[in-house]
Amino acid sequence: MKRVSLMTLAAIAVAALALLPLSGAPYWTTFVFSVLIAYVLAQSWDWVAGEMGYINLGHYVFYGIGAYAFSIALTSAAIGSVTVSMVIAVVVVGIAAVLLGLPLFRLRGDYFAFATLALLPLAEVLTNNMSWLTGGADGIVLPVDHVLTVAFWLALALAVLSFITTLAINRARFGFALRGIRNDEEVAEVMGLPLLPTKIKALLLSSLFAGLAGAIQAWQMSYIDAVTVFGLNVALVPIAMALLGGSGLRWGPFVGVVLLAGIQQWLLVNITMLQATVYGAIILLIGRYMPGGMLRAGLLQNIAWLAPLTREHGAFVADRTAGQAAGGAAVAMPLDRIAIEPDAPPLLVCKDVVKAFGGNRALAGVSFSVGPGEILGLVGQNGSGKTTLFNCISRVHALTAGEIRLGGRDLAGLRRDEMAGLGVGRTYQIPRPFGDLTVAENVALSVMLGPRREAPERALAEARSFLAYADLDHRRDVRADTLSLQEKKLLEFARALAVRPRLLLVDEIASGLTPVEVRRFVERIRAVRDDYGITVIWVEHIASALNAAADRIVVLEQGQLIADGPPAAVFSDRRVLASYLGNTAEAMQ
Amino acid sequence: MTGTTTKRGQQWRAARVAVALAAVAWLASTPADAKLGSCTDPVVFGTTISETGLFSTLTGNWRKMTEIFADEINKAGGIKLSSCGDKGVPVKFVVYDDQSVPATAVQLYERMASVDQVDFFVGPDWSSIGGPVPPVAERHGIPIVMGNVATPSLYQRGYKWVWGTPAPAVPRWSERYFDMLAHVDPKPKTIMFLTHDNPVMKAITAVWSKKAAAQGIKVVGEEMFSADLKDFTALIAKVRAAKPDIVYISSFDNPSVPLVQQLRQFKVRAMDVHHAMLTGALKKQVGKDLEGMTGELTWFPSVKGPYADLYERVMDRTGITMFDSIWTLARLNSYLVMIQAIEKAGAVDREKVQKALYKGTFKSPAGDIVFDEHGFPDTGAFTIQMQNDKVEVVWPPDVATAKPIWPSPTWQ
Amino acid sequence: MSVDVVLQVVVGGVLLGGLYALVAFGLSLIYGVVRILNFAHGTILAVVGVMASVMFASWQLSPVLIALILVPGVFVIGALFYRGLLRPLERRSPLEATIGTVLVTVGALLILSDVTAVLAGPMQRNILLRAPVIEVGDIIISITQLAILAAIVVLTLAIHVILKTTWFGLAVRAVTQEPVAAELCGARSLGIKTLTFGVGSATVAMAAVLYVLTFPVDPYMGFGLTVKAFTIIVVGGIGNLPGALIVGVLLGVAEGLVGLFWGPEWSPAISVVLLLLILVAFPAGFRWRRA
Repeated sequence: MKRVSLMTLAAIAVAALALLPLSGAPYWTTFVFSVLIAYVLAQSWDWVAGEMGYINLGHYVFYGIGAYAFSIALTSAAIGSVTVSMVIAVVVVGIAAVLLGLPLFRLRGDYFAFATLALLPLAEVLTNNMSWLTGGADGIVLPVDHVLTVAFWLALALAVLSFITTLAINRARFGFALRGIRNDEEVAEVMGLPLLPTKIKALLLSSLFAGLAGAIQAWQMSYIDAVTVFGLNVALVPIAMALLGGSGLRWGPFVGVVLLAGIQQWLLVNITMLQATVYGAIILLIGRYMPGGMLRAGLLQNIAWLAPLTREHGAFVADRTAGQAAGGAAVAMPLDRIAIEPDAPPLLVCKDVVKAFGGNRALAGVSFSVGPGEILGLVGQNGSGKTTLFNCISRVHALTAGEIRLGGRDLAGLRRDEMAGLGVGRTYQIPRPFGDLTVAENVALSVMLGPRREAPERALAEARSFLAYADLDHRRDVRADTLSLQEKKLLEFARALAVRPRLLLVDEIASGLTPVEVRRFVERIRAVRDDYGITVIWVEHIASALNAAADRIVVLEQGQLIADGPPAAVFSDRRVLASYLGNTAEAMQ
Repeated sequence: MTGTTTKRGQQWRAARVAVALAAVAWLASTPADAKLGSCTDPVVFGTTISETGLFSTLTGNWRKMTEIFADEINKAGGIKLSSCGDKGVPVKFVVYDDQSVPATAVQLYERMASVDQVDFFVGPDWSSIGGPVPPVAERHGIPIVMGNVATPSLYQRGYKWVWGTPAPAVPRWSERYFDMLAHVDPKPKTIMFLTHDNPVMKAITAVWSKKAAAQGIKVVGEEMFSADLKDFTALIAKVRAAKPDIVYISSFDNPSVPLVQQLRQFKVRAMDVHHAMLTGALKKQVGKDLEGMTGELTWFPSVKGPYADLYERVMDRTGITMFDSIWTLARLNSYLVMIQAIEKAGAVDREKVQKALYKGTFKSPAGDIVFDEHGFPDTGAFTIQMQNDKVEVVWPPDVATAKPIWPSPTWQ
Repeated sequence: MSVDVVLQVVVGGVLLGGLYALVAFGLSLIYGVVRILNFAHGTILAVVGVMASVMFASWQLSPVLIALILVPGVFVIGALFYRGLLRPLERRSPLEATIGTVLVTVGALLILSDVTAVLAGPMQRNILLRAPVIEVGDIIISITQLAILAAIVVLTLAIHVILKTTWFGLAVRAVTQEPVAAELCGARSLGIKTLTFGVGSATVAMAAVLYVLTFPVDPYMGFGLTVKAFTIIVVGGIGNLPGALIVGVLLGVAEGLVGLFWGPEWSPAISVVLLLLILVAFPAGFRWRRA
């Protein structure tokens, strides 16, 4: 209900704003115009930062490139048309975004922020020195066309479009993919998300809006120079605005922009001294006391009429799926049963697999195979190479030598994100949930990013079946990082199943559980195979569990395979007992 | 709380709020008619000063100076208007800080036009701001006389309402210096230009390197440097290799501080080292290193001229000197030209003032300011030389306070 | 181009690069230990530089005395700044902590520049010392420059010795390399971090006094230097002071040589291009292995 009224109010406000340039209030028009431009910059920045988790401090570069491309096109004798120049600006910015994104996305975290920040001074130097193209420090003088009204409408349209795009991104599979990257990009990749194309897409989208904003403002200002469009002093302002409001929140950038621009203008007009100090103090105090942005501050979240502004994105999507019940019977998963042919060739074949890290050979020539529908127990001491083997099968690591075949296909040369498509699902020994998403969203991401690329709403509905199967449905709406360790392991299991695997790699999922819980897991693993025909490799230290669940056991020691056979035979092998099981051998009695 | 009625009710409420907001915005913004033509209300000048940000290093104390300027004019009877029976009308300034940001400046000029309803615009500086602001004046039909906007191309955009008083104007910047070079003995044969990467400075180099060649002085090098450059060793190495008779530094005062110091440290030899902007700010930072150097000064109290007393009083009371802040002259000239134009028009009438400004000639302490059809002035400059730690005007001889010392002994 | 000319350019580059390195030291220490990107770092140089210049102009104090007054002051202010405004943010979630520190340090940057401009005036200033020069062949170097070079060397050695031999240094290195383990081993992080913030700020104050002896400063110049210092610590290895010194000096020299062989207008691009190239070649940052 609230949402409707807020959106209606927003629509009416936009309509009213559209009349502003006709009202004979040029001051307010120019002021709102610059607010709109700042909003477009802040919001488009936030798609890469708030959603995807990449702090692009050089976002303004795209604004500047757009401004320059537009101005150069508009003043060149050959083009001269505003529309064509805008199109050229968009194209040039797009090319720049892709070319810059390719190397920049090799970086993560602070390094990405450093590198993007450095783009600004570089752009300024280049613009100043490439006088033949940019006019150097002279800047570019555009025709004086008094385009405020049209430019205002363009900026308004672009701002509205930014907001609609934000809504669309949040609702779309793409937005979930971005949030997956923000939390743990390797996990998202193994689920089936091609990382680089997704990141480039996000940067491209964000840069196009910034570039258009630059083109529109250049048109309205009718003069640009390098300091104006690449200066460090102006470049960080939209970012500060987005952070101030609440980065990653639907209304965050908007509130931040309106507030900060309003304050700044008020200070300029009413205070003749130290405005920058007051402005700085406001930014500083909000950073100190409301570091998640104003809208995340408890103070504001408790004010009823502000509450609709302060919700996280996930809350909006959850609203729409809240009414839906878990599909079908509570414990059935929406998986097709994979038929198991008795004499089919092995599903997974590892042949002389070697993986070396520097001089250390974690896997030193391991060969074994897993038949379709088999449950294989994989045991070995810590450091014997079990997790490394999983990482090799899911292509997190490339092999040093040897080969791995899945269903007859050599995995060499495949990317990580292709593995889910081939039917490989995995859990992590130390759980790696997408911490700031809900439990349901975590599983839904598997469904969305996996081979079937489901739409979010279907995926969220489907996720509940997997959660129910893992006994986690009652926790579906809490943030994943608030779960207990056991619950996180269950979540890992549900996520791995939601990929719809042929081959499930389970990494120490039962360690630390009570005997009753362990038994439940044994039942589940067997059911996964019996009911759905999924082949399982289970790494576990609890011999009794493997003894109960596995058809066959493979033992690794220092990167080498030392035993391969039925549980009873392997667990009575003296070498295995000596090397690994030790006194826990009694546990299997 | 279910059903469409509630929803519709909320939509209605939202709509009413929005309409009310729009109405308020509309009312707040509707301009009342400007009170042009009155003989009792003060004439209001609107201006912005880059008090903070990038350019603020060049504008020390200008707000105070502007207020004192208004005070001095009003003490002397204000602006004399023939339409008011030669009665003086006081002048008042609306001053904002544009933060050295063009978009902010544009907003503020729109504000002054529509909310503060100033009568005339004066004074913005620098091409970054002189680029986007004039269209505002054009759209509102408000005459604007800008200050330190010296890029000629910014005036050639078909404006009707725009003038500027940059001092000196690029085409006349070093006129008197090159005249002096034609008369000194021994005659310089070679010259090298060191140019700060800035439109005005590049334009100066472009104009005066051509002039040098035409005068038979060979240009043996042109080097450019950015305002960020601190270590000039490489550039000076090139100077030492080229051995020019004249080193012409075409730069703002601040960026060239390390350059001048390092030229001295590396004992560069020349007949003269000329600085296109030899100022007190430079002197404060390089001290004795400036001794013997020549430069340009658009005006200096000892030169006198019309309104010289006014300028001296304003600067004394503000506590700045022309030599300290070379940009001050163009600033004050923009105020002064506007006042003269209004007096010439005889009324506080934008149309009439516009006509008075068009291709007009105005008095200033530095000589007449004559506008061309684009609104660009022709202000020249005097050649000065630092002699015994003092600024002496050395050319042209008729106003000189001292003879040029040639070749400059400090560069031997 | 003669060897002398190149050598002369190298000498100039070493001087400027040494100053860059001093600025980078503080940032490197702070980033290594506290994991905070202090956007106001270079602005401290600008503000202290202006203060030093004002003190010199009004009371003709010796630069050494100025440093003795300002450096401890900045140490205390830096430590208090961390304790009062940044430390409380560490209790928040990682996202909030990051955003909060960005906002706090950017806000501090704006306040520092503005207050300085209002109090001391926005104009550019320096400390004007006239010192004799020494000529070796065609190479010329002034006594001031020599003194600055000596000070840079002494400071670098002092910081190095402190980091190598004292408990504080050990803790700093431990926290930089293994934050969790160091905390477990009892390196009391609050004390170490506060000290580090103070020391990091104090080194940049020291750099400021040296800087203003040869180059002019103004209240707004800091951020460009911060970016340059970021470059140096990323390329030189975070928390690796010898690396920072080498990279800083190389950067200064590279800027000079580019100016000589290409054109001075391209010098400012070097640091950025270097940063981007290194980062793209070594995405996880540069790790210098100690032999």
